[in-house]
Amino acid sequence: MAKSKKRSKQAASNVFSGYKPLKSCFDELFCASGAPQETLEALVRSIDSIGAAEFKARQKLANAAFLKGGITFKVYSDKRGQEKIFPFDLIPRPVSGQEWPRLERGLTQRIAALNMFLADVYGEQRLLKEKVIPRELVEGSKGFLKQVKGIKPLNGVYVHVAGIDLIRRPDGGFCVLEDNIRTPSGVSYVLENRRVMKRVFPKVFAQAKVRNVDEYPLRLREALTGIAPQGVAPRLLILTPGPFNSAYFEHSFLARSMGCELVQGQDLFVWQDKVYVKTTKGPQRVGVIYRRVDDQFMDPKVFRPDSLLGVPGIMGAYAKGNVALANAIGNGVADDKAVYPYVPDMIRFYLSEEPILDQVETFICAREKDCEHVLANLSKMVVKAVDESGGYGMLMGPQASKKERDAFAERIRANPRGYIAQPRVEFSTCPTWSGTDMQPRRVDLRPYIVTGKDSWVLPGGLTRVALVEGSYVVNSSQGGGSKDTWVMG
Amino acid sequence: MISRVADSCFWLYRYMERVENVARLLDVNLLVVLDTKTNEQERWRPVLIVAGEEPRFVQRLGASCADDAQAVQNYMVFDEENPVSIVSSLRWARENARSIRDTISLEMWEALNAFWLWLGESGHKSFVRNPHHFYSEVKEQCALFHGLTHNSVMHNDPFNFMRLGMLLERASQTARVLDVKYHAMGPSHPDKESLEEGIEWIALLRSCSGYESFFKKSGVQFGGPAIAAFLILEPDFPRSVLHCIGRAVNFIQRVRGTTPGPIGARAADLLGALYARLTSTNIRDITSVKAGIHKECTRIVEETARICEAMRLDFFDPPLPEMAKLTKMGSMFQSQG
Repeated sequence: MAKSKKRSKQAASNVFSGYKPLKSCFDELFCASGAPQETLEALVRSIDSIGAAEFKARQKLANAAFLKGGITFKVYSDKRGQEKIFPFDLIPRPVSGQEWPRLERGLTQRIAALNMFLADVYGEQRLLKEKVIPRELVEGSKGFLKQVKGIKPLNGVYVHVAGIDLIRRPDGGFCVLEDNIRTPSGVSYVLENRRVMKRVFPKVFAQAKVRNVDEYPLRLREALTGIAPQGVAPRLLILTPGPFNSAYFEHSFLARSMGCELVQGQDLFVWQDKVYVKTTKGPQRVGVIYRRVDDQFMDPKVFRPDSLLGVPGIMGAYAKGNVALANAIGNGVADDKAVYPYVPDMIRFYLSEEPILDQVETFICAREKDCEHVLANLSKMVVKAVDESGGYGMLMGPQASKKERDAFAERIRANPRGYIAQPRVEFSTCPTWSGTDMQPRRVDLRPYIVTGKDSWVLPGGLTRVALVEGSYVVNSSQGGGSKDTWVMG
Repeated sequence: MISRVADSCFWLYRYMERVENVARLLDVNLLVVLDTKTNEQERWRPVLIVAGEEPRFVQRLGASCADDAQAVQNYMVFDEENPVSIVSSLRWARENARSIRDTISLEMWEALNAFWLWLGESGHKSFVRNPHHFYSEVKEQCALFHGLTHNSVMHNDPFNFMRLGMLLERASQTARVLDVKYHAMGPSHPDKESLEEGIEWIALLRSCSGYESFFKKSGVQFGGPAIAAFLILEPDFPRSVLHCIGRAVNFIQRVRGTTPGPIGARAADLLGALYARLTSTNIRDITSVKAGIHKECTRIVEETARICEAMRLDFFDPPLPEMAKLTKMGSMFQSQG
């Protein structure tokens, strides 16, 4: 008795005192009973013993480190040049070393299939001919670019960098929520979060045996230099829309850590179907561009004529194989949210394998039956625009008002091809500091996959967390934050 | 290196040089005002003139405010509409640094970013509490930035362009300060100077961090002409025009390499011509006459502006047709790693 009294007194000042996991979902650190998960006891204990006061102080320290480093996310264009840090929560999100290899295999399999799908869609179109996926769905996708039909990227790789969003179901199993295979961002935060965590929690970190993430830039560099056109020195550049882009920090971060140059569209020009960069010693030939500019802005001669971010004529150079672009142009068709439901079929079709990773049941509003079902059950559904990201253009049915749902129903009826719907998944939570105490908040996981000759999965990933109580939206543009992801053991 | 990046390196250092110059100028002025009899009217307006901001200031705040210590300092430190205020220069320095984050070192970026964050918060408080202390802090942050840069980046092209930006800005600034002071307080009788004038000259030297250096240069005569000659022609003084231009000649040679091609020829020629003139023997005569000083200073300011423009056309923003012509010429056409 005396012992438990002492414990509760002590608990008042501990990091996890009073933490109650939600009943409806899996918690990344605690069992439903409120005890730490068996494999994570040591980790929970070592964080807990830091004490709430000290924990608060370290959270401040971490925020200051991000601000000083200019590791900022949103950039407002007002005069003060206000920048906000991407909110960072100190409680790490663990993934056990036992479950990680399966995720790696599943992600590699998925990327292989998506890559073959892109080669097929812009080539022979076997999948469409055999009606595994409706032709109008594919060719009606905004991401499907007829301009790149017949263009084969060097080495046949389309998806050099992918970020696949996973969520954990109430039963503890991971499933794929979304594919990002155009220009996925966030990996710089994985590396920076880690750097800050090591400084702020050296002891906890040392005990936890966390797998290292620093390899990423080297892996990426290797994959990208490997696709240089023959006979051209592999001068690798990163193309950014510029310092006002919200992901600019990441672009400069990657350039620095890969030791390559960061350019804007104005720095490049095309002459006789070859790409050159303007330098202080005159024009120089460019071999590989890791571009972080969207497809539609890449070449004003081919796509949006008003784009100032791209390079006029670059598509000509790309088509002739005189420059390699990563990721390939036209990948948007494969991460269209209405194409997503067919990925398991792609895996079966191209690889003759069963999908390793599960995914979320999805209703495609373009299919009449699905659409009816969605409209009838809007209050239970999460509806998403097929070509949006960042948490824009979506309806959270259960939380929306009737008025909002009615308005959204109108939009779906007007453009069914533009929407898909999924039942709301009660995905997992992780203890997160609310400012005063520890609260369960929803988290997802975005691992990164780099593909050169083979695919490599970064052992870790970006854990995004919905900081608002009760929220299911983790996107940074919607009040989300991030956590360090620890693949342990 | 990439043209736009070279441009940002150049401007990053120019802006940082401006931040430091403005802080020093205001600081010296503030101290002199404390113990001289000159009324403030003659004291603060020259600061605006040196910065080239008098017309804009008068238009916005009225002529009477140009006498006001607080108004002028506020304008030169925190006014965001003043393009050469400390806050504006620092913002643009940081914007340039941000756009070349992959080129500069983490140390440089963190120092600059911390400086910027400081200026908006504790810096502002410090300014209100004690401007002199504030100016010292600004100068220290500049020194920290330069020290970190010098010791944390490769001394190759990006660094060479940064130094060029600093040196050209500094040469021009020294000429400007000298011109304005000479014009406003120059001796009516070069040989007989009052005590007041002596104090003015000391203030001028301090505005260029040259007080101790000047007196260490043994045997030099005190007074207007000697000080003017020192600020323009002393080869070993780091803020003299000759020193800056001489160093700039070295840096442009480094940028162009051992077998210089056509790129950069214009800027190099202009720099070489200015250097030759400053080292020619008959220039010393000019520094003995007030009108000669004014003429010389104006000429230096104009010529450095012309050099900067040539730098732009040669290195930073070369017109595309010319680039294409160069590629046809052959040597540049090779692919380079």
